[in-house]
Amino acid sequence: MKNYTKSKLSRRTFLIAAGVGGAATAAAIAGRALTPEEPKTVASNDKRRGKGYQETAHVRSYYNTAKV
Amino acid sequence: MSSAVTPLRFHAPLVQEDEARAGYYALLGRLFYAGPDAQLLGTIANADEIVAGAEQSALASAWNALATAARAMEAEAACLEYDEILVGTGKAEVTPYASYYLAGTGREKILARLRGELLGLGLARSGAAREPEDHIAGLFDVMRHLILLGSEDGALQRQQGFFERYIAGSYPGFCVAISKSEKANFYRHVAHFAESFLMVEAEGLKVF
Repeated sequence: MKNYTKSKLSRRTFLIAAGVGGAATAAAIAGRALTPEEPKTVASNDKRRGKGYQETAHVRSYYNTAKV
Repeated sequence: MSSAVTPLRFHAPLVQEDEARAGYYALLGRLFYAGPDAQLLGTIANADEIVAGAEQSALASAWNALATAARAMEAEAACLEYDEILVGTGKAEVTPYASYYLAGTGREKILARLRGELLGLGLARSGAAREPEDHIAGLFDVMRHLILLGSEDGALQRQQGFFERYIAGSYPGFCVAISKSEKANFYRHVAHFAESFLMVEAEGLKVF
């Protein structure tokens, strides 16, 4: 199996050089502006919809940031 | 038995760059799901500039240009722009659905495979979202989620796989289509920033 850990440093180095590291502040600020509302009442009609899908914590976080 | 409770840690702490990546996916997902409100626009406008490193960073200049554009933009106009380009009456000028860029035909197959993958990840559309899962905003949100799971090898592998299957082949066409739109002004900058960021992503996930 490929040794991924070895290349981890080069990945970080690459990201920092590309500006992603320096972007941390900007990204965090922007991220905060869209902190989604707390997942409110998982509406009762979710059950009806939820045929194939499992309602996990992840289910609820999916699309949260995208929600207006 | 000790009564002290040590909270379980499910995820390893993220490295700073990965936090930034998650933040960018969150931001882009939001901007491609709907036009920005005044608060979001203001936050982008006032965000710190990215100071480019030794070499000029395309990502830095794209981000700084977006912030400048946000300063000159009214939320109402930005939302109108979004609707005109990506929603439209009848057919949208630019479709935000990745499968259109991934394949000429067989969109349903891609969508079915994606749904299966999401299920495997424990993800599904939230009740409020009616858009098919291959909406670019949804894909970005999946990436955000995968990044937040940690910076270990396994997590990176999952990110890499998902990115390659759904985003790598769709974002260039999508971003170019927006840039070409005559209606695009603020969203031209959003698309340019998205493109710059995703180019870094494509490379960064390869490096790993």
